[in-house]
Amino acid sequence: MTDAIVIDGLTKSFGPKLAVDNLSLRVPAGTVCGFIGPNGAGKTTTIRMIMSIIFPDRGDIRVLGRASAVESKDRIGYLPEERGVYRKMKVGAFLAYMARLKGVDSRGLRPKIRHWLDRVGLADAEKKRCEDLSKGMQQKIQFLAAILHEPDLLILDEVFSGLDPVNRRLMRELIDEQHRMGRTIIFSTHTMYEAEQLCDRVFMIHHGRKVLDDSMRDILARFDPRSVLVEPMHEEDLDALARVEGVAGVVRGVGAGLRSRVYEARLDERVDVAQAMARIAAALPVRRIELKRVSLEDVFIDLVQRSGERAPSRAELGADSELGAAEEEAALNA
Amino acid sequence: MPKTLHVALREFNSTVLTKGFIVGMLMTPVILIVALGAVMVLSNLEGPRAAGEVALIDRTGGLVAPGVEYRFSEEGIAAERARQAEALDHTLDRAADAFGADDKHRDMVRGISRSAAARANGSIPVLSLRLLPEDADPEAEKAPVKAARVRDPSAASRAPDAPPQRLALAVVPPEAISTGDDGRYGPYEVYFADKLDFQIQQEISRRISAAIVDARIRSDPRTQAGSLAPEDIRALLKEPEVTGRTVTADGEKPVSKLTEITGFLIPVAFMLLLMMSVMTGGQYLLTTTIEEKSSRVMEVLLSAISPMQLMVGKILGQMAVGLLILTVYSGAGVASLLILSLDHLLNPMNVVYLLVFFLIAFFLIASFMAAIGSAVTEMREAQTLMTPVMAAMVLPWILVMPISRAPNAGWVTALSFIPGLNPFVMMIRLAGSEPIPAWQIPATIAVGVISAMIAAWAAAKVFRVGILMYGKPPNFRTLWRWIRMA
Repeated sequence: MTDAIVIDGLTKSFGPKLAVDNLSLRVPAGTVCGFIGPNGAGKTTTIRMIMSIIFPDRGDIRVLGRASAVESKDRIGYLPEERGVYRKMKVGAFLAYMARLKGVDSRGLRPKIRHWLDRVGLADAEKKRCEDLSKGMQQKIQFLAAILHEPDLLILDEVFSGLDPVNRRLMRELIDEQHRMGRTIIFSTHTMYEAEQLCDRVFMIHHGRKVLDDSMRDILARFDPRSVLVEPMHEEDLDALARVEGVAGVVRGVGAGLRSRVYEARLDERVDVAQAMARIAAALPVRRIELKRVSLEDVFIDLVQRSGERAPSRAELGADSELGAAEEEAALNA
Repeated sequence: MPKTLHVALREFNSTVLTKGFIVGMLMTPVILIVALGAVMVLSNLEGPRAAGEVALIDRTGGLVAPGVEYRFSEEGIAAERARQAEALDHTLDRAADAFGADDKHRDMVRGISRSAAARANGSIPVLSLRLLPEDADPEAEKAPVKAARVRDPSAASRAPDAPPQRLALAVVPPEAISTGDDGRYGPYEVYFADKLDFQIQQEISRRISAAIVDARIRSDPRTQAGSLAPEDIRALLKEPEVTGRTVTADGEKPVSKLTEITGFLIPVAFMLLLMMSVMTGGQYLLTTTIEEKSSRVMEVLLSAISPMQLMVGKILGQMAVGLLILTVYSGAGVASLLILSLDHLLNPMNVVYLLVFFLIAFFLIASFMAAIGSAVTEMREAQTLMTPVMAAMVLPWILVMPISRAPNAGWVTALSFIPGLNPFVMMIRLAGSEPIPAWQIPATIAVGVISAMIAAWAAAKVFRVGILMYGKPPNFRTLWRWIRMA
């Protein structure tokens, strides 16, 4: 598999501040890559350097096999973090302008724009001025501006921010659709939920350095928490759970609310997970038993904490991830 | 189509196809014409029509009264108008000669001036004269003057058979027509009603004064015997007309006040055209760049095109806007010169120079505007950085008069080589009547082109850094650092 982006030894500083520090990574063609990291980690700076909007102090970037994005701009779709529209321009005209700047022939452009506007639920917006649209609507327009020219590589910086749950889901579907069409997609986010849902591969940078670069499956395997989530039929059976062979400790389940009756049984290092689960099921009647899967959020917090930083609290992250998901469900069911 | 042209096209369309621009471009000349018309109409507007009598106490033994009577009679007024009309025609003829107008336009202008004169005459107040006895008491006769209500609306609607209001009382003493020991004539007095229009006051005293002068001439012993009538003496006193001609190597040209005026007006017109077209495009460039930055559309654009393509596209688009304005206004100017058959006042070569210096001035100013627009986030932050541009815009106004008077002075030649001022100074000089040394034209154009290129190069540097910078607006020092960067 060829690589859509190859970055080697990328370094960029703004005055005394080192924004990106000797960063190397590869984005395999045809994958969806999440680019995560806390605020100010250097994500946007890296993406701008990939786009040749700013230039690195040191290091090499190859995009789509060319020496820089300048030579392959028409094959890249880019949704910047700092994004806007011409306020006075009509939506259709704006999209047509952006597409033409990307080298799209004007023949057949209008029907295509109409098709896409319809696809994102803005069929009636073509003749409206951009300023008459809400921020979320504008964001969808900007996403369309990034994909209208059918790019091979799609770079989306904070694509989910500012979207309501319905539109978040729509955006995920659109990204997935692009992925199925064989496009390479790299999107930055600091919300874990979407990254987990969409990514084949995740990069994480912190203080300008890469702290994680792996496929989603490997990450989840590597950060295996070796815990079993157990919801006992009767609370009084907890002692039995703690006595099961191989269980190192029991804590009240976290992340599922204060009234949760789910408990987390930490397993010993050497114990076989499948056997331990069988033993637990035999030891006490359970309503539910499952192997705990690591979430990207756990990985994120773990990595940030390991670098000696105060990690964002669960509440901070939760607001973006789990609550976001719950909220989304509610909105969709309504 | 190259991407730069797409940018230029959008820039042009989004500027020109707005109500604001179309209205602004059409309205500027319309406003000028309306304002001019308004001034003319207003100056022709009479105050409230004053009708009334002028009382005269003639103490010269009846020498002045007949003359005054004549000048207040219909016959006298008609004669005066005829004399004025003739004088006006004469002046116009001389003006037409100076401009080289043909008969058709001569008649047209004459017609306009006649109707204007007729309108002006129509507003002359209806004044009647009342002769008072020589021994009438001035104090007693002032009473009706005091009682007159010139601006009182109710006075105008008084009963038609009511006696006319007394607007003025003139007292002419004997000294007014005879010299005293010092060989001087004495004064006479006129008492005007309160709030009487100044023009009416002048009209009244003009008629009486003229009658007094006639009386002096008639009563003078030296003319009484001879055959010199007052008209003869007026004719004798009239200053002769001068027909001045400038002698040049090419031949003779008539000299007149009017060629002097056009010699000044045409350079001003050229400078104005240049400035308007350059500034409009430049101003729009600044606004749209700031808009792209503050609406954060900039980075979206930069994903498709390079900063250089964006800047060049924007400058080209606004250049087209400037050219449009230049074409429309200069077209209107040339058309009106053609209609008036005054096209010989225009040197076609100057239109070519106008275009050349427009391009130089525009690229210079546009480079500044693009750099400033990219460096700031809001319009008001741009103000301090605009100082040099503003100086380049204001200085030509201050200099236009001295330059057109001495277009080949040493300091003017020096100014012609200062980037920024050079297009304006050269345009004033070229449009003037005095030829300038031939070598200076290509030399100043070269200086202009080089300075515009340097400005564009520096602007590109600033633009590349500036468009993604948000926050504190930079000062000149920061800009200089950006220029030296990379």
